[in-house]
Amino acid sequence: MLKIKLPLVSLALMSASPGLFAEELVVNGFMSVGAGVLSNSEVSVKGYDDDISFSADTVVGVQLSKQVNDSTSATTQLVSRGGEDYDTEAAWAYVAYSPDDVTTLRIGRLRTPFFYYSDFLEVGYAYNWIRPPEEVYSLDTFSSFNGIDASRQFLIGTAELFTQVYVGRLLEDFSVNGTAYEFSLQNLAGVVFGLTLGDFGYRASVHTGDGYTDLELGGTRDLDQVYGLATASGVGEKFALDGKTSHFYELAATWDNGDVSAIAEVTALEHETAMLLDEMSSLFSVAKRFDSTTVHLSYASVRSLKESDATVRNIQSMFERHDSSWILGARYDYDSSAAFKFEVQKIEEKIQAGSTSGEDGMLYSVALDLVF
Amino acid sequence: MNLTKILFSLVGSTLLLIALPASAGTVVVVSSGNGITELDASVISRIYLGKSSSFPNGSSAVPIDQTEGSAPRNEFAEKVLGKSESQLKAYWSKLIFTGKGTPPKAVGDSSEVKKLIADNPNMIGYIDESAVDEAVNVVFRF
Repeated sequence: MLKIKLPLVSLALMSASPGLFAEELVVNGFMSVGAGVLSNSEVSVKGYDDDISFSADTVVGVQLSKQVNDSTSATTQLVSRGGEDYDTEAAWAYVAYSPDDVTTLRIGRLRTPFFYYSDFLEVGYAYNWIRPPEEVYSLDTFSSFNGIDASRQFLIGTAELFTQVYVGRLLEDFSVNGTAYEFSLQNLAGVVFGLTLGDFGYRASVHTGDGYTDLELGGTRDLDQVYGLATASGVGEKFALDGKTSHFYELAATWDNGDVSAIAEVTALEHETAMLLDEMSSLFSVAKRFDSTTVHLSYASVRSLKESDATVRNIQSMFERHDSSWILGARYDYDSSAAFKFEVQKIEEKIQAGSTSGEDGMLYSVALDLVF
Repeated sequence: MNLTKILFSLVGSTLLLIALPASAGTVVVVSSGNGITELDASVISRIYLGKSSSFPNGSSAVPIDQTEGSAPRNEFAEKVLGKSESQLKAYWSKLIFTGKGTPPKAVGDSSEVKKLIADNPNMIGYIDESAVDEAVNVVFRF
């Protein structure tokens, strides 16, 4: 995992010469404390099992920002996640330069803007769910990258347009069945368009990157063995990963009149390598506010897509999946900075690891979300 | 819509003319040194939601809030911004934690906001109508 070298540097930068500039150091924070339990341990959701657990949705973030001069600011956001043993990581650590009101250039560590909720992924207070549905929000291992971005807002009549382009690279471990692999995305780049028109909002984004891992022929980890099997079956080149390009496409539409809101988001992940399966995901959610209580209902699904070649398909079947969930939940704003949430999620694993005899299960979870 | 607006301002100016004790309405004000005499709800809303940082005439605009829990603040949020206090908090937390904006500074009650606005031509605030005097221009009533 990327540890806190970068934020320490930014912290040092920000605390240097106190009082030199009139603008003060701004401290903001958010915290979510969650607990959940699964009806049975045959299904898997974000580190929960059939004993009540408290870490998976527990997260605390502290953000420090300082306006250095009229056009330049420094921001760092340190996040500790219960699901990662409370290791502290920088989700954001950047210097921003705004030559005018509507244009911003940022350099440093930034959120990868894959999704509608990416920018505030862990600020539970900012949305109704306890966590965004995993079927769609499955790339959160890669939620931050190191690089540079430029964004600009346009106001055309009553329409608000937003554009963002970024380039960078991403280096992160990821784990499959409890075993860690090194992974990096190089030549990572993307573009995001947003449009707000009254109560309607739209977002479209395209991302690309070249993957590299530490997969090795003859290795003992699961994916090494898959690579070995593919090589022995004569399709090793298709399963090689280094330097292969992946694309990610996302579309979202939202509607919010203050009392009723809805979002639909669909994504497609396309890999040049056969080692990673292409995926199509979607989520649909509606929410209605009754004074301080908001009730919401969501459906989310993910389906992996195999290649047409029979040998490749056979091997890919081992990690094929087709999952869906229904989530019914309520959020109660008992104070203007605190929300209590309760959710029931019905999980259906229609295809899991290639087997169609997937399991069903229920996840019951509660959370308390604060901002300060 | 327009008719109500006209009626509203007629009633408003009549009230002022005959100098009745001010009613408990909330009004949006700028310094009388600023020169602006009228603003649209949508312009005010944009300034308060951080989507715009200037008045229609191009001069910079700095919005001022009242302290959380004050009656004018709740009324302003519901009627002009169309959001409850917690919806507003959720809105700002999205911007704060993405470095895209910070909420307006919160400064005391109607009389403190009025004092601050009176001395700062680039500021805008909302106050109880009873706190209005010649140092500020009422630019919007609700």
